Amino acid sequence: MDMTRRGFLKGAGVAVAAATATALPGCLQEASAGNGNRRWGMVIDLKRCIACKACGAACRLENKTPPGVAYGVFLDEEKGQFPHAYRLSFFRPCMQCEESSCAKVCPTGATSHRKDGIVGVDYEKCIGCRYCIAACPYGARSFDYGHNYIEAANNPYNAIPSSEYGAEYGLRSKGRSPIGNVRKCTFCLHLQDEKGEYREPTACSRTCMGKAIHFGDLKDPEAKCLVHGEKMQELLARRGHYRLKEELGNEPSVYYLPA
Amino acid sequence: MSSITRRKFLAGSVLAAGGMSWLLKSRTMQAFAAEVDKRYDFKAGTWIPTCCHMCGGTTGILCQVVDGKVIRIKPNSANPCGFSNISDDFFKNCATEGATMCPKGNSGMMTLYDPDRLAKPVRRTNPKKGIGVDPGWKEITWDEAYSEIAARMKKLRDAGTPEALLWFSEDHCFTHIQGDFCQLFGTPNYSNHSNLCDTARKASFKAVIGDERPLMDAIQSRYILLFGWNPLGATKWAHLPRIMTRARERGAKLVVVDPYYSSTARKADEWVPIRPGTDGALALAMAHVIIRDGLQDKDFVEKWTYGFDKFSEYVKDKTPAWAEKITTVPAETIERIARDFATTQPAVVDVWSGPGQHENCVHGGAAIACLATLTGGYDRPGTLHLPNKKGNAHGHLHADKPKAPRFADDNKLYPMFHGSGVYCEIFKQLAEGKGKYPAKMAMIVFQNPMMSLPGTETVAKALASLEFVVVNDIFLSETSQFADIVVPGTTYLERYDWNTHWVTWPVLALRQPVVKPIFGQPAEYEFVAELGRRLDLRDKDNKEFFKIGPLSGQPIENLTAWYEDYFSAESKNGAPKLTLEEIKALPGAVWVDKGGTKYGKFKSELKAEDVAKATIVKAKVGDLEIEQIFDKPKDQGGKRIGTMIDGKAVKGFMTPTGKVEFVLNCLTGKKDAEGKSCSDLPVYTPRDWQPDAQYPLFLINWKEATHTHTRTQNNRWLLEFKPDNPLQINRKTAERLGISDGDQVVVESKFGSAKAKAHVTEEIHPEVVGLQHGFGHWAMGAAAKGRGTSDGILRPLRADPIGGQALHKECCVRVKKA
Repeated sequence: MDMTRRGFLKGAGVAVAAATATALPGCLQEASAGNGNRRWGMVIDLKRCIACKACGAACRLENKTPPGVAYGVFLDEEKGQFPHAYRLSFFRPCMQCEESSCAKVCPTGATSHRKDGIVGVDYEKCIGCRYCIAACPYGARSFDYGHNYIEAANNPYNAIPSSEYGAEYGLRSKGRSPIGNVRKCTFCLHLQDEKGEYREPTACSRTCMGKAIHFGDLKDPEAKCLVHGEKMQELLARRGHYRLKEELGNEPSVYYLPA
Repeated sequence: MSSITRRKFLAGSVLAAGGMSWLLKSRTMQAFAAEVDKRYDFKAGTWIPTCCHMCGGTTGILCQVVDGKVIRIKPNSANPCGFSNISDDFFKNCATEGATMCPKGNSGMMTLYDPDRLAKPVRRTNPKKGIGVDPGWKEITWDEAYSEIAARMKKLRDAGTPEALLWFSEDHCFTHIQGDFCQLFGTPNYSNHSNLCDTARKASFKAVIGDERPLMDAIQSRYILLFGWNPLGATKWAHLPRIMTRARERGAKLVVVDPYYSSTARKADEWVPIRPGTDGALALAMAHVIIRDGLQDKDFVEKWTYGFDKFSEYVKDKTPAWAEKITTVPAETIERIARDFATTQPAVVDVWSGPGQHENCVHGGAAIACLATLTGGYDRPGTLHLPNKKGNAHGHLHADKPKAPRFADDNKLYPMFHGSGVYCEIFKQLAEGKGKYPAKMAMIVFQNPMMSLPGTETVAKALASLEFVVVNDIFLSETSQFADIVVPGTTYLERYDWNTHWVTWPVLALRQPVVKPIFGQPAEYEFVAELGRRLDLRDKDNKEFFKIGPLSGQPIENLTAWYEDYFSAESKNGAPKLTLEEIKALPGAVWVDKGGTKYGKFKSELKAEDVAKATIVKAKVGDLEIEQIFDKPKDQGGKRIGTMIDGKAVKGFMTPTGKVEFVLNCLTGKKDAEGKSCSDLPVYTPRDWQPDAQYPLFLINWKEATHTHTRTQNNRWLLEFKPDNPLQINRKTAERLGISDGDQVVVESKFGSAKAKAHVTEEIHPEVVGLQHGFGHWAMGAAAKGRGTSDGILRPLRADPIGGQALHKECCVRVKKA
């Protein structure tokens, strides 16, 4: 029983937890998974972004995340002085860093890189210590405290599972993963097919009102944005680009084109 | 059951489940997961095309339905509404790029499954009605609800006073059947939402170009000048952000005139902060510069306009220096944007509810429209387009028009009355015990006047004055608190509607129930039809109107099936000439006219055979005699089809002269609802209510992409993006008043006071405070209740005296720390 597992882990400590977890072979969110010929990434064109936050809503709709767990977050900062006010606004999914701070501090190996660059969390290994939340320089991780948008258990919404990680943890229930785990954006990796290609682009990029979020493979120079069809490398070459907190050396997979 | 047992059981029984099990390998949960995944995978269930209605925008969407539940919503790329309003762009690019959806559309599921929805009819037990009075709701059955409502209606009819029934409705859903019901019942008092929104814009354009709904062709424009329109915040049609940002990418300049640094101003090349309600003055000064420097499109002005000389004379002294004093916009800025606008072609200028909700709105909007006139900015690519509005057809109702006048005489009082009525006038007369006759009963469908009208306390008085009020809504709204019976309505995911008019060429898109009404309640049209049956409403041929299908001609017992027949007749007899079932089968359930967007339609000559059949009416307009062409004699319901211009029968513009008018002939010699003479020039007059020493600040409001009207504030996802609506106050003004960011403040006007949280910002004009409209619910649902501020209480219940637009933005206040 899940409660028993948790109770056991609490009592036995981290080392045992890791050992128990490794006994379970690889899955969607582990290093062995993913298509090694791909490195999935985003190019977000801030000139096109209108700060509507449809990306964030689409993310909730696709991943059915609970309150307090936010994968794709919109950041908005007021700048300047009247009448020369301006805003710094951007959508911040997980950066899926190549050198990710989160994976480095994870004591149980729950956070790992897949072969296609996506960083996953193995909920079976995650002990909810939240080191990764502290370590992530982008604030891209959140803890599932078990809150719900709708409390009534018989509400139809609560019978709709999240497809995250292949719906393995689709319906949340007390004392069971992912409640008590750290959660994060996975570039909607449950939308990948058997070969690790996307059947549908990520929810945020698909819905974007300004068509600002491009999503595709950054490894193949010919790869196209899965939403709008432009070549990803051409988008990057268009008018210069940057990544957030580049100086930290995390090598994020999310690029921004300047506003 | 222990989960170990369950897992073992599943592992043994569903190994063949497929789905994503390839990734899960020997995970203990694998079999269970595979099963769940198979049922809820992207390919599972059915994807049903329909149209959104989280706001009035009707964007195309696709809903994935599994086990009778909506589990995903995504954009419907077969529907132009959500991609582009121009056909070339849609046909060429939509397949590659795909359509879009806004945050509200993405959050639809949280409204559908909102736990605070009303599930069953309720009746009040407390006869006392007022703000904060508990109605003492008691659940009743649907049959009890129908019986009592029908009995109340029958009483009015039997007494020979059916006009004592007032009816209020949303303006894009199930309107036709409600209008038919009212006519058959015998009340002329059917009104709907438009006059709370943009009837000022409609009146302005109707006066200038004879078309109340031109649409901005942004994507082909090189210069976009917006007065108080916020298409990137009030994202009513999901294609607006794409066409705006794409235009900028192609080099167009975007200039936004607005007292607030709106979502659209944030993406503009230039934000021009302006004193509220003075946009007309800015437009006149721009016209002054354009004419002074001879930058107008002389050919268009010569051939296609009326009254240029008089207008030129009028703007001669409306210099940028004159306008600077009125608007606070520097004269050099006015000079520059006037010249840039006139010399960068194609340019488009548009105006919406910013200037459109002050007392001087109709003339202000007309002055802005005159900028388009000066540059010939109509029906060319990249300008204001006059859309072809063909879509569904409302069937002819064989019944006499009700004999009684409208309760508030609003159609006579307001010289540019809009068919949606004048809510402000109706509620004001109710509250004051006036009106042409006593009104006894109100039916309020999908409307919340307590939150959506200015003058909250007067509205409360008006509602309390009625003998019997019925509300149909998905929540126990603030207005419901005044109802005698409230019946649960449906969301857009549970019902039918036709959607058209939001792009520039004929398109008819289907909204259809993707799930059955979740509480088994009737859709609004079924509710109306059932009442019609219980009242035995018949047309002139003695036909049971709500039983005989207009398409089949057969009696249909089942209410849904009857409405499907009624509804199907609208598309079959409309432009698509297809039935409901045939449109359902089209890709994306949308009929798109292949002919696409047409330009320069006003220049087109009428067909000789149409002219031969036509009736020509000689009309005296000013000093001219104009030959207006009608398809049949006016007394037989003839429709204007054109005008004789230079000896040719052309379509022209549907104004009295057939041309674009600088002199607004439709207002010549007219008096407004308050008895003042209307100017027939697009004059600037200061709005009535100006700041003074006691109430020194303007108060305005606006929309943001996260919410619409007063109906999304219970949506738990949208609340994460925008949980309340703090009062925005300029930093310098706040410093002067000793207000810091986050302070609780009291906002007072001479009509009332409200509490708010202050947000100190650089993003608003120093003379102005303002907030996002829609918050401050005190009933509705648990999540909405007590959040943010409603500013309706600070204003009087008043409409613009020409067109009847509710004045949501005319208000002056003082703000102090609470």
